[in-house]
Amino acid sequence: MFSKKKSISELLQAWQYDEELKENIVHWHTLDGKAAEYEPFPEELHPSLKSALQKRGIEQLYTHQREAFDKAVRGVSFTAITPTASGKSLCYHLPVLQEIINNKSSRAIYLFPTKALAQDQKTDLNELIEATGEEILSYTYDGDTAPGIRTKIRKAGHIIMTNPDMLHSGILPHHTKWVSLFENLKYIVIDELHTYKGVFGSHVAHVIRRLKRICAFYGSNPIFICTSATIKNPKELAETLTNEKHELIAKSGAPIGKKTFIFYNPPIVNTTFGVRRSAVLEVRDLSKRLFEAGIQTIIFAKSRVRVEMLVTYLKSLTAKKIQDESIQGYRGGYLPSERRAIEKGLRDGSIQMVVSTNALELGVDIGQLQACIMTGYPGNIASAWQQAGRAGRRQDEALIIYVAQSTALDQYIVNHPTYFFGTHPEEARINPDNIIILMDHLKCAAFELPFSMTDTYGEFTVQELLAYLEKEGVLVKTSTQWHWMSDRFPAHEISLRSAAQENVVIIDMTLPQNKVIGEMDTYSAMTLLHEEAIYMHQGTQFQVEELDWEEKKAYVREVEVDYFTDANLAVELKVLSEDKSAEYKSATVSYGDVGLLAIPTIFKKIRFNTHDNIGSGPISIPPMEMHTSATWVSFDMPENWSEEQLTDALNGAAYAMGSFIPLFLHCDRSDLSVVPQVKAVHNDRPTIFIYDSYPGGIGLSERIYDILLSLLERTIEHVENCPCKSGCPSCIGAQDSLGDSKKQVLKVLTILKDEMEWLP
Amino acid sequence: MSYENKILQMKKMLGKKTETKQEKPAFIKPDVPNYIGKWQQAGLTLVENDFGVLFKRVVTYPLTYRHGHYELQELFDAIGLWEQSEEHPYAVTSDETLVFFDTETTGLKGVGTHIFLLGFLETDGEEFTLTQYVLADPSNEAALLFESKLWQRTATIVSYNGKSFDWPQLETRWTLNQAYIPKLRQQKQIDLLHSTKRLWKNDLGKMKLTTIEQEKLGFQRVGDIPGFLAPIIYLDAVKSGQADALMKVLHHNEWDLLSLVTLYIHSTQLLFQKEISDSAITYTNIGKWYNDLKQKNTGINVLTTVTEHFDITDTGLAHFYLAMEQKRACQYEQAAKSLIKALPAIDIPFQIRAYEQLAIIAEHHLRDYEEAKVYTQTGLQLISSHEKWSSLQKEKQFSKWEKRLHRITNKLNK
Repeated sequence: MFSKKKSISELLQAWQYDEELKENIVHWHTLDGKAAEYEPFPEELHPSLKSALQKRGIEQLYTHQREAFDKAVRGVSFTAITPTASGKSLCYHLPVLQEIINNKSSRAIYLFPTKALAQDQKTDLNELIEATGEEILSYTYDGDTAPGIRTKIRKAGHIIMTNPDMLHSGILPHHTKWVSLFENLKYIVIDELHTYKGVFGSHVAHVIRRLKRICAFYGSNPIFICTSATIKNPKELAETLTNEKHELIAKSGAPIGKKTFIFYNPPIVNTTFGVRRSAVLEVRDLSKRLFEAGIQTIIFAKSRVRVEMLVTYLKSLTAKKIQDESIQGYRGGYLPSERRAIEKGLRDGSIQMVVSTNALELGVDIGQLQACIMTGYPGNIASAWQQAGRAGRRQDEALIIYVAQSTALDQYIVNHPTYFFGTHPEEARINPDNIIILMDHLKCAAFELPFSMTDTYGEFTVQELLAYLEKEGVLVKTSTQWHWMSDRFPAHEISLRSAAQENVVIIDMTLPQNKVIGEMDTYSAMTLLHEEAIYMHQGTQFQVEELDWEEKKAYVREVEVDYFTDANLAVELKVLSEDKSAEYKSATVSYGDVGLLAIPTIFKKIRFNTHDNIGSGPISIPPMEMHTSATWVSFDMPENWSEEQLTDALNGAAYAMGSFIPLFLHCDRSDLSVVPQVKAVHNDRPTIFIYDSYPGGIGLSERIYDILLSLLERTIEHVENCPCKSGCPSCIGAQDSLGDSKKQVLKVLTILKDEMEWLP
Repeated sequence: MSYENKILQMKKMLGKKTETKQEKPAFIKPDVPNYIGKWQQAGLTLVENDFGVLFKRVVTYPLTYRHGHYELQELFDAIGLWEQSEEHPYAVTSDETLVFFDTETTGLKGVGTHIFLLGFLETDGEEFTLTQYVLADPSNEAALLFESKLWQRTATIVSYNGKSFDWPQLETRWTLNQAYIPKLRQQKQIDLLHSTKRLWKNDLGKMKLTTIEQEKLGFQRVGDIPGFLAPIIYLDAVKSGQADALMKVLHHNEWDLLSLVTLYIHSTQLLFQKEISDSAITYTNIGKWYNDLKQKNTGINVLTTVTEHFDITDTGLAHFYLAMEQKRACQYEQAAKSLIKALPAIDIPFQIRAYEQLAIIAEHHLRDYEEAKVYTQTGLQLISSHEKWSSLQKEKQFSKWEKRLHRITNKLNK
């Protein structure tokens, strides 16, 4: 076929008359461009910095960059909202470099959520430093740093670029080796602030409290600079994370080109069950159109497997050309050198199409592309905008295509563009008060420096907790202080990426030399690493041959099978304490602590594509107990309902509600669980529990207590509008038979909603 | 920039300077722990200084005191040997003050690991003196560090793994107290773990000091506590006030220090080959060490002695290292002979290296391509049958060797 290069607007024009496409496009939306807003360089900007900027062709600053500089110079901690490609790094580079040029003993820490991001930013920063002609040493410090240069970095590095995990276990517990850093620390930069949410964010909040405690010991009082994608509560998040007042820079002065959004819903192929065509296949076809029009495009897919699938499909477009590299995949698990080559190819245009997981959502420098395709809703608005932000070169027009999957959340989003374009991104919640996380880090803090009898830790009074740790035998109390006194190294026992204290190590036995290929928290391991489970790792299938639950080791071997496994978990819930409660006519909504007993029961083998059940087996893992926080709503059994009917209706209601939680809270679907019980143990009434999936809770279910009514409203509206007849994966979950379950679910949800609307 | 602005900027810089200049916080002397009486009863002496209290234990030994194979005074002979030697990381002179040093700690790393015992063993020529300083409690740490005088005196610190453990740990403790006590002096370090590894590689499985004592120094401890119990014992002593078990840790430390002296004597004698008293492996290691230190003559002498003195089955590696030196000295035929002698008595990875060297010598120096080809093919066979290498390691080797084989075949066909 003859193809020719087209511009975005030419392409869009053609699409307007394409009947085939038009049927599936639910919504077109255009965002107009915005011209840049500038401010002159600040008076005091050091001449060498000024000339470095000028060498890059920068003659003035965007308003937000200038505002950032002024705040930093005033000594104020601040958080800047920075969309993709708004020159956010200058918000922190300029004040930091200015400080170091003026005072060579000054130091700064740059914190990035991952190792890879720190390494990306290093190149950028080093180019800027080189252009200033000043002698400023910036280094990444992480697990990959060669032992040979570590001493030099500790003593002489002006800017240390690292990640929270390294700070937690590699720097803070060894702070005496970093005296010159901590004595002279002027700035702590936290990039990609919005990624510090949930359990991970709560851990990092404590790592920062420990960091500040050590700074105070060495007499420094650093200023915090945070940059964040658009979220609802950036200032609050920054303040909770750093335990410090922040000012907010909300308005970006960067120019924005015109952006056209297309919401694309794959056609329904089975009306009764509401089955739509696979989003992946639709994306393949759309990508083909963009490729043939010569438009540089990034395609986001949610999993590594999907990335590989799409790459395979798309590479067939260039199969006839020899050594054609214009279509590439990009995801975790690629070698750093491969990734660097792809990033470069994207910048110089030799790669025309890249398929990526959310790995490219964060600040990796790939320049700006012309179009972006999202395969499914990434789970939250902030991510969606980050992904969309990858398209749009400065003033050029950009195209963003969102292809919906058939999940409830996706179907809601694709049918409610106002939600997407509305001004309410999600909240990012963290909960430093989680006592389990707090105790973990209190141990680390005590390891790092003794506590006096009057010391507090962050915003917490901890004397009683310290007394507890003394009883546990890890602290010793002298006349004046609490001292760590144990041969354990607490930071190694605590992983920031999960609140569960123990992980199961996954060991690959395919080769004679066994190799550790990953870790998983024990809770997830119950359903994903039981014996005979198929465990997917970087697109490769492994079968679990042996699970040593005592030793927390799973032995796996590479296999090639045409099925995956799905395990069932029976959950028993017990209310331990009720902290808040609201009584309605015949319903009660409560928030408090719950004890949870999870019992894995059986697993099923499910064939790919057809999703046939082709076998099953028992799981023999002991039940697991967990204490967490939950919001639950109990109501009276509706009249004339059988228990069985109610079970089905509650299951459907829980499914529908669970799907919408990420809409309200900036959290992963798996951070909260929704579990219905026809007869709750504590009150014998039908109850829906919504609990934090992590021990101790992370504050999400408490938010649910406040927003339960709007969650119910939204859920009802969506289920009602779903085009299926009797329930489908897009609303109340797949149904085995054509019953009136959809009606029943709506009935239950409406009962609850009506109750809560009733004012006494 | 206007004059006013310039002045304003200078004013700001002035402000920063005064801001960074901080008053040293006043030191508040910690309370004396309530168990001092009990610790004194157990045999410790209470010491008080400006920074608090600590405990001390002193033991003296006559010069003729015997610990295992050696009398302590043989240290003077060892120093004498070093005074006449070439440069060596273990060389000392009689001008230096040798201090044998070992600590006991509550953990293995990080700021939360306390040093609770500093042990020093030294001599004034008349007798040997052990001085042990014990941390009274963690709040009295500055007192312990100050009393060690390590901020004041100059000494050559001889330790076992002290270079990477005890001394850095001491630096950490010092940094935490830097606001109050004078700076720790940098001292010359001799780490006997390093020499032990060089001497007894492939000979001893474990490089634990107690293993060395039994195998090489003729000393057997009776009633020693295992080192890993030390943290728990100290914790218990502080919590309960009972110091009986703690005294066992002090004895443990005392043995460590005495063995350090005899280990230094023993290693020195081996290095100067006073008499053949150890295995062929040890002397081969010594020869290689001298070679690596670029003291080739000594190295070659030692290796030659090994080949002359021991049974052929034990001298494979000595022949191999000799060959490497001979090759470096362009004595190719001798090198090839040594390699062939080495072959029957070395393990497979070394055999592979030997065939590689033989192939190189035959191809590039003796230009005997037929022979080079045979060596290369034998090497390839060995690689493919070697079970301990992963397929990746083998892959790497194969590509290197096949290249060689290809090149040699080409040369043969010309």
